[in-house]
Amino acid sequence: MNPVDTAKIPGGVSRFLSAGTMLDVVRFELTRSMTASRIAIWCVLVLFPVMIIGLLRVQITVEQIDPWGLATYFLIPEVLCLLGLLLWATPAVSTELEGQTWIHLAMRPGGRTTVLLGKYVTAVAWTFSAAVVSLTVCTILIGNAAGVSFWLVLAGLALLSCVAHGALYVLIGVLFYRRTMVAAVIYTLVVEFGLSFVPAVVNRLTINYRLRGLLAEGTDWRGVRSLAEATLGIEPMHHHLIALTLVTTTFLAAAAWRVRAAEFPTQADGGA
Amino acid sequence: MIQLTHVSKLYGRVIGVNDMHCRLPAGPYGLIGPNGSGKTTLINLLTGQLRPTMGQVRVFGTDPAKHRGVLRRIGLCPATDVLYPNVTAKDWVRFLVRLHGFSVQDAHSRSETALERVGLKDSMDRPMGDYSLGMRQRAKLAQAIAHDPELLILDEPYNGLDPLGRYEMTELLKAWTAQGRSLLFAGHVLHEIESITRSFLLIHGGRLLASGTADEIDSIVAETPQEVELIGPDVGRLVSRLAEHPSVSRLNLRVDTHSLKIGVKDPASLFGRLTTWIADDGLRIDQFNTADGDLSAMFAALLRRHRGELS
Repeated sequence: MNPVDTAKIPGGVSRFLSAGTMLDVVRFELTRSMTASRIAIWCVLVLFPVMIIGLLRVQITVEQIDPWGLATYFLIPEVLCLLGLLLWATPAVSTELEGQTWIHLAMRPGGRTTVLLGKYVTAVAWTFSAAVVSLTVCTILIGNAAGVSFWLVLAGLALLSCVAHGALYVLIGVLFYRRTMVAAVIYTLVVEFGLSFVPAVVNRLTINYRLRGLLAEGTDWRGVRSLAEATLGIEPMHHHLIALTLVTTTFLAAAAWRVRAAEFPTQADGGA
Repeated sequence: MIQLTHVSKLYGRVIGVNDMHCRLPAGPYGLIGPNGSGKTTLINLLTGQLRPTMGQVRVFGTDPAKHRGVLRRIGLCPATDVLYPNVTAKDWVRFLVRLHGFSVQDAHSRSETALERVGLKDSMDRPMGDYSLGMRQRAKLAQAIAHDPELLILDEPYNGLDPLGRYEMTELLKAWTAQGRSLLFAGHVLHEIESITRSFLLIHGGRLLASGTADEIDSIVAETPQEVELIGPDVGRLVSRLAEHPSVSRLNLRVDTHSLKIGVKDPASLFGRLTTWIADDGLRIDQFNTADGDLSAMFAALLRRHRGELS
């Protein structure tokens, strides 16, 4: 029989998994995620930038928006988004392997790739929702000096952070499925928070470099501009956007290829 | 349906499947072997989850690791438990049917039909965290049959089932095979598999030791040199007779436990004589343990035969 012969495939089956199937993965993942512990983690993520901005706001009046903008940027697109994605995107495969449920997904012809991409979309949506809620409350706390443009710039950066870092963590999760969190945390600390501040060509390889560059280009905050000139260099906005798009696509494609080709441990012999 | 051509699978320096070579036409088969014998590795090779280190695996003429489309024709009920505590069986099965590429409506009806078939009609809307192990086992079976596969592979499907559940599962599998569908049932309890199929594959240490019907396996075992054990207060009185019998290769008498282990080259010829001696001399023998009753001993005997250690 021809390997791609569809004559024996049950009727009504599409050979190509649609976006609808991926949405089913998202729906299924969200249903699974509605547990008390996951909702509690989501609330903690929302609240910790709010608490910090709130405490600062009690002690300091808003004279210039720059320091508040920088603080909010650091707290939300860099810390909140990375923490959320560490928790939801990184263990996309490892939780299924540990729960021994991966075999059920892998027994579907396009299951591996579809599930991985669906889990990526879920992680981005889950984390971005926390970022948006947190940012909205922070913007209200900062007051009139912030305004809609403040919210829009930071929400845009939070979205880009979720999309790009999500792809990165999904790839790390697929490559290092046994020590997923350790690998992702080490990578984040060394590369995204270490190398990104090094004023050399190497920092251009980090996602945070691109996000900070976009922040510098998208605002007229002096503090950000001086940071950009000192460590980030000056690049036009479209360079950063193209770089982020390339990074995201490459990471997702690599993760999809790897998850399709990998031999993951499925179950112990005899179910032991 | 299944063709294995000198298939071996190595995990580093550990061998999971060792030079397995066989061809199985469509039909029901029992895959029997003790825990750790390589059953699950073989199943993973057949479903494309693992690639052979050497050799070739073909299922329906296709390499399942390369052409995953063939998975639509296979249903797998793995040995491992399902751990989605807050998801209902209906949502889970429907989701997995959707991943096969069926439409939303089709996935809905197929999942409900499959869950009804395994007896979960009334509890399909409950979260699986509330299920007993047996109910989760049935949910696993439902996801394996919902897309109407041609080959159903079951790995230890009786795990966690009570006697009624075992009976119902047996009936379901009998109905499955009665429809002319193929089945590969992996387990380590011979009589459970025997009630569903008479064709067996005996696997141990990653090797396919024997294959055939139950009668063929019995005759192989009967012709295979093995060790039998007699227990009883009069076993010592058999030693002189046994020592003179040509098919006895060794004797090991333990006076303290009243046990006598006998190494037998040709069990069939000895067993007839043995019963005559016991009856003629009026000996009291309480137990007669053969490889038939002890699966691990039978596998050990078959393994020695497979290695050519016994002629």
